[in-house]
Amino acid sequence: MIFALVSCTSNQEKEHKYHGNFDKIKALEKDSIEYAVKSTDLIENMPLISVETNEVSFFIPERKSKIKAFKCSECHTKSIPELKSKNLTGKKAHDSIKLNHATIEELTCNSCHPSQNLDHLKSNLNAKIDFNQSYKVCAQCHSSEYKDWLGGAHGKRVKGWVNPRISNTCVDCHNPHSPKFESRFPAKLKSRKMEEIR
Amino acid sequence: MSKEVNKNVENGQNTWHQITLENTDRRSALKTITAGLIAGVGIVSTSCAVFSEDQEKETSQLSWDEFFKKNYKIMSDDERIQTVQRLESLYEKKTGNTINISHQGPLDDVLFGYVFNISKCQGYMDCVNACVEENNQDRDSEMKYISIHQIEKGHGFNFEKAEDEFTNEVPLKNHFYIGTQCFHCENPPCVSVCPTEATWKEKDGIVVVDYDWCIGCRYCSASCPYDGRRFNWGQPHVPEEEVNKNQHYLGNRLRKKGVMEKCTFCIQRARVGQNPSCVDACPTGARKFGNLLDPKSEIRWILENKKVFRLKEDLGTEPKFWYYMD
Repeated sequence: MIFALVSCTSNQEKEHKYHGNFDKIKALEKDSIEYAVKSTDLIENMPLISVETNEVSFFIPERKSKIKAFKCSECHTKSIPELKSKNLTGKKAHDSIKLNHATIEELTCNSCHPSQNLDHLKSNLNAKIDFNQSYKVCAQCHSSEYKDWLGGAHGKRVKGWVNPRISNTCVDCHNPHSPKFESRFPAKLKSRKMEEIR
Repeated sequence: MSKEVNKNVENGQNTWHQITLENTDRRSALKTITAGLIAGVGIVSTSCAVFSEDQEKETSQLSWDEFFKKNYKIMSDDERIQTVQRLESLYEKKTGNTINISHQGPLDDVLFGYVFNISKCQGYMDCVNACVEENNQDRDSEMKYISIHQIEKGHGFNFEKAEDEFTNEVPLKNHFYIGTQCFHCENPPCVSVCPTEATWKEKDGIVVVDYDWCIGCRYCSASCPYDGRRFNWGQPHVPEEEVNKNQHYLGNRLRKKGVMEKCTFCIQRARVGQNPSCVDACPTGARKFGNLLDPKSEIRWILENKKVFRLKEDLGTEPKFWYYMD
């Protein structure tokens, strides 16, 4: 036993002691780090959109290909006011969508979707915003969340922690029509306690 | 000191030198001696058997070599490859299934850190599930590395009043949620108390356990101020179809009875650029993971721009696990 301990300690590397985490970080940090793995290797050809601001640049997943029946203009040949004036009966395609986002005084369908060209989103000042950059629509009201998202405090990385950064965009986690997370029972493996309750 | 004692000391040193010069240590010496004994038994048993099965022989040879291997920390690269291969083929012989055990070392210029947003966690517990599935924890005792504490607002971080086994619908009104796990301290008390050096801090900051050198004394568990360690009181059991076959020697390979284990930031994932499974599983984005040595990383942005704190900072353990609020 003594021999084993001796051989262990003699082989132990002498580690430099730092006064806390931040001293160590300051001493060892590097401006550009080349990782052997890249996050793009982990995502299997997922199409990406780049986000560029003055402070940060990163990628978000492409959105349009995930929207069922895009382009909208393939069905919406006429503008919404025109359709409404026709008093159409029958099942509406977007009947399932219930707007549960702020109040009706603050937000209506037309706050984000223009009534004329439905292939784009729109800003408060009626500027065109591409579906792939829908975060720009959200950022108009949710400015602190937007700031945290750019920095990395809000939101979620896709797959890896390595560079380049790939983050979910707002609508990857939040349903834009009902953005609040629902309350539910905690996910648990079949546990004894849960069985006792049943 | 008398001459006689001096002589003895010299003799002792000589013997030690002889041992080391001949490149023999306690392990291999013991191995040779016992191998001789077993060989005797082996001859008897083989002569009794009608025919000896090569498979069995190979298995016992592998287990034999496994039993007398070194501490992983002082193994050479070759020795690490050998033990990993032995473990892989032992598993295949036992179950017929193949596993992949990695021995990948720390990446350069990486120091892992973790941040947890207590404003965002809603107690959904998806992280706990993902962790158990990823890290092959014992299903019988329902071992979990992560604890999510449900605490009533207005009482601060009162862990004594926290509900850890909540089964109510979440988030519960007027409550907040805070998760704890191994904090991978820069100054880890669990490492200093280990009598066999079976646990240590890797260069990338991950505190790991060599399950084959742990003697199960549980000093580390007693010394940890954060309840970060878990002990296998019984033989851990994971149903074969649920075993995560993508393993790491210092991470989620299958453990045995009487050894300590804990969160390794999913070392088998972290060292190939992936997030720990709890980070990937969290539906609210409350969990963030990254390289502290990269000034452009999100974790550094959070540390520099948000109000962050750690638990029991006054102990000087320097956890690399921060909490923050929106």
